[in-house]
Amino acid sequence: MDKAVGIQIEGLSKRYGAGEAAVDALREVNMSIAPGEVVGLVGPSGSGKTTLLKCLGAVIEPTRGRITLGGEVIYDNGWKISDLRVLRRDRIGFIFQAPYLIPFLDVTDNVALLPMLAGRPNGEARARALELLQALDVAHRANAETSELSGGEQQRVSIARALANRPPVILADEPTAPLDSDRGLAVVRILNQMASEYQTAIIVVTHDEKIIPTFKRVYNIRDGRTFEEAGEGRALE
Amino acid sequence: MINLAGRDILHSWGKFVLTGLGLGLLIGVTFTMAGVYRGMVDDAKVLLNNSGADLWVVQKDTLGPYAESSSIPDDVYRDLLGLPGVAQAANVTYLNMQVRKGDTDVRATVVGFEPGQPGEPGSLAAGRRITRSHYEAVADVMTRFNVGDRIHIRRHDYAVVGLTRRMVSSGGDPMVFIPLKDAQEAQFLKDNDAIVNGRTRAAANPSLNRPGVPGLLDAINASQASNHNVNAVLVRVADGHSPEAVAQDIRHWKHLQAFTREQMDDILIAKMIGAHSEQIGIFLVILAVVSAAMVAFIIYTMTLGKIREIAVLKLIGTRNRTIAGLILQQALGLGLIGFVVGKLAATAWGPAFPKYVLLETGDAVRGFVIVMAICAIASTLAIRAALKVDPATAIGG
Amino acid sequence: MKISLRLPRQVWFALLGIALLLAFVWVATTSGPLAPIKVTVTQVAKGEVAPALFGIGTVEARRAYLIGPTVPGRVRSVMVDVGDSVKAGQLLAEMDPVDLDARVTSADAATARAGSAVTTAQAQLDDARGRQALAGSEARRFVDLGRKGFVSQSVVDGKLQQLQSADAQIAAAESALASTRQDLTRQDADRVGAKQQRRNFRLEAPTDGVVTSRDAEPGSTVVAGQAVLQLIDPASLWVKTRLDQSRSSGLRLGLPAEIRLRSNARKPFAGKVVRIEPNSDSVTEERIAEVAFDRMPQGVSTNEMADVTLHQSSVTDALILPNASLRFRGAQAGVWLRADGHLRFVPVKTGAEGLDGKVQIVEGLKAGDEVVVYSERELKDDSRIKVVDSLAGTEK
Repeated sequence: MDKAVGIQIEGLSKRYGAGEAAVDALREVNMSIAPGEVVGLVGPSGSGKTTLLKCLGAVIEPTRGRITLGGEVIYDNGWKISDLRVLRRDRIGFIFQAPYLIPFLDVTDNVALLPMLAGRPNGEARARALELLQALDVAHRANAETSELSGGEQQRVSIARALANRPPVILADEPTAPLDSDRGLAVVRILNQMASEYQTAIIVVTHDEKIIPTFKRVYNIRDGRTFEEAGEGRALE
Repeated sequence: MINLAGRDILHSWGKFVLTGLGLGLLIGVTFTMAGVYRGMVDDAKVLLNNSGADLWVVQKDTLGPYAESSSIPDDVYRDLLGLPGVAQAANVTYLNMQVRKGDTDVRATVVGFEPGQPGEPGSLAAGRRITRSHYEAVADVMTRFNVGDRIHIRRHDYAVVGLTRRMVSSGGDPMVFIPLKDAQEAQFLKDNDAIVNGRTRAAANPSLNRPGVPGLLDAINASQASNHNVNAVLVRVADGHSPEAVAQDIRHWKHLQAFTREQMDDILIAKMIGAHSEQIGIFLVILAVVSAAMVAFIIYTMTLGKIREIAVLKLIGTRNRTIAGLILQQALGLGLIGFVVGKLAATAWGPAFPKYVLLETGDAVRGFVIVMAICAIASTLAIRAALKVDPATAIGG
Repeated sequence: MKISLRLPRQVWFALLGIALLLAFVWVATTSGPLAPIKVTVTQVAKGEVAPALFGIGTVEARRAYLIGPTVPGRVRSVMVDVGDSVKAGQLLAEMDPVDLDARVTSADAATARAGSAVTTAQAQLDDARGRQALAGSEARRFVDLGRKGFVSQSVVDGKLQQLQSADAQIAAAESALASTRQDLTRQDADRVGAKQQRRNFRLEAPTDGVVTSRDAEPGSTVVAGQAVLQLIDPASLWVKTRLDQSRSSGLRLGLPAEIRLRSNARKPFAGKVVRIEPNSDSVTEERIAEVAFDRMPQGVSTNEMADVTLHQSSVTDALILPNASLRFRGAQAGVWLRADGHLRFVPVKTGAEGLDGKVQIVEGLKAGDEVVVYSERELKDDSRIKVVDSLAGTEK
């Protein structure tokens, strides 16, 4: 595996609490995702997938292990990055269970917000946003209010947002949960497209039976441990 | 970087404007209360200025003629004219009473004055000055009388020949100016029943009703019905003399007290208005607290309604500072709308108040600063809540 | 550019914000302490001033009489009542003469008796004269006889002495007669006096008039000088008018007057000043003038209040201003002159003033000068003003 980009996790453990009541949410997790790869993370609820995402997203601190994102070691038994917020802003894209668009910003600004936060001038940020919206085939809604969009359109905007700062890594948490099978597959198709186009490593946490077969590789997680297995890699139209 | 606060305000502008209106009305009431106090102080100042007097000579040991009642003989002014430093000395009377026009009654302060002397209103707003020695009146516009009206004071009817503005007593009652003799009669002459009663009693008294002295009873009745008192003498001090020195001279007369303008200022403002200013101060504090609570509540609710978005914003890399700024700017924007609405409302409904409302620029500036400060402080509750949000809650739902 | 697409809503809010701001600024500059003071102005023009004096007065009778006895007594009868018209000489009331009639009778009798005494004294004188004549002739005869020696000297002396005695008796009788004559005069005078007194107990009207007061009923005791009735001559009613000393310049006899009675204010009566009292009232600081009616009105009562206006001769071709434009700096009268956009206080000297408020400007201004009449607030030299037609709140 090329260690320069992508996601690399070694021996990641997370323990909540201490002593008798301690809960090990993650036990020695190892994972590796190459740039351009879209990998599934599957497991029952309570298996630790959310915890793993939170560790990758640098919003909770693991107990032990090493995380490398985009070639940069961000955690090695302790945070190695001083400003996690900047990390999240520039190096990680988030796609949530629901679009979670900012309601008081229009579609373009929702996407352009990220480059603006990174210090880009407004014109450039909006241009980048429009680009992404076009790529996701939702540019015709560029000036609309978020509330005017359909669920699928909103999801596509949120994907555009996740890509706006060209992060090397995207964490997707149940992105198809609110959608029906057709739209769900469409989302996966888009993710694959974006991944290969922008060489982003994407990890998709899901238990949606309809999309799991599309992954080429799948990580199973159970009781905090991960098992890699080959996915079906079913083609998408 | 776009201004998130601005976008949020524009997005939910209805809620904002409505809240701003409500806050504005509250602030308007606050401005009006402060304006009422300033108006009372101005009433007192105008009263003292318009009298054209440098000294007020009243009954000894009283704080009259405004704060307390004072009664002195009406020939005292002649003695005062003889003192060095006295340029003009004129009798005045003041009496709060109901003045009737048609079927309606107005509470007014009836002032008895001598034309061309201190005590006469300095300028008019309509009509003319009094030219006849009796039964003409000049009234302040706040009485709602018009030139040409006939009003009734005590026993006589008066024709309103002129109107003034801002001629009010220290208690805020509008003034009605009538010739001194008429005012003396109105104040000191008893009503018909009392006069008849007095005559009967004199007639029944054998030492007053002597058959051997015809004319004695009539003379006694006449003296009982005479009115030769006034409430004060207004003195204008000649150029080059100090009012306090002249006042000292007057105080040496054992039966008189004399106040300079500073002393009258103090009496009116410190003593008469002092009690009011406490009340108004408490009101203002209460209104400020209520406004603060209102702003805090609204901003807090608006923030709570955005908890999820705040979590997302924090997750995707928005600074804490930016989020705090968003909330603070909203609070300040609310305060700004409230201030503008409040100031406009206070200006609009001020003239309709029964008392004079004086809105000073200084008060407006101070009000602005206080409103902004209150909004800033009120927003801290919401800011604390926002900062405590854990971005991790965006993941996993 | 994205911004142009957002224009609609942002423009709305920007406009609203600007409108609010403008409203704010407008409010700040047109009201409150920053705003200019609203005033009305007028021009000094030539015109006529009709000065007049005004005073209030009471209707009084110039000629009023108190009818009463000259000695204390008791009222016997009163023939007239309040409001009755009486003629000169008419009997109005009578005092109780008590014993006066008896005294008059007694005086008559005394006079008669004195007359009788005079007659008696006269008879006695005649008798004494007769005796003296006889004594005289006898004395002459006896003196002759004595000289002839027919009788003794003592007899002659005796007869002479009788003659002397008869002379003395004549003197006595003459003096007694004089005395009774004086007594008669005295009694007669007393009688006349008693009759006169009796006449005084008849109270008669001194002139034609109207009874205004009935002060004692029959049976009441009154003292000398106390009125039983009061009478006035209704043709002599006039208005005793009081004018403020400071506003009575030009008061002179003959000024035409307009009298409005309190009881009938709508119909004024014409009159003129007929007397100006030489003594003014220093307590009330008023001058007193009596104003007579040109034609006596009907149904007027005394002590009724009246408003009296005395019209003086008009001053024509005078520079006039409404008196509302006068301002006072101390005792100096002046106006606010508006010239070249600046405001200036100009002292003036005033002349005649009419009751309608027009005042003549004698010194300080010329025709065409623009002067402030009404102002919202007191003006100062540096006040900013705004000229309006009339001040708010003063329109009907």
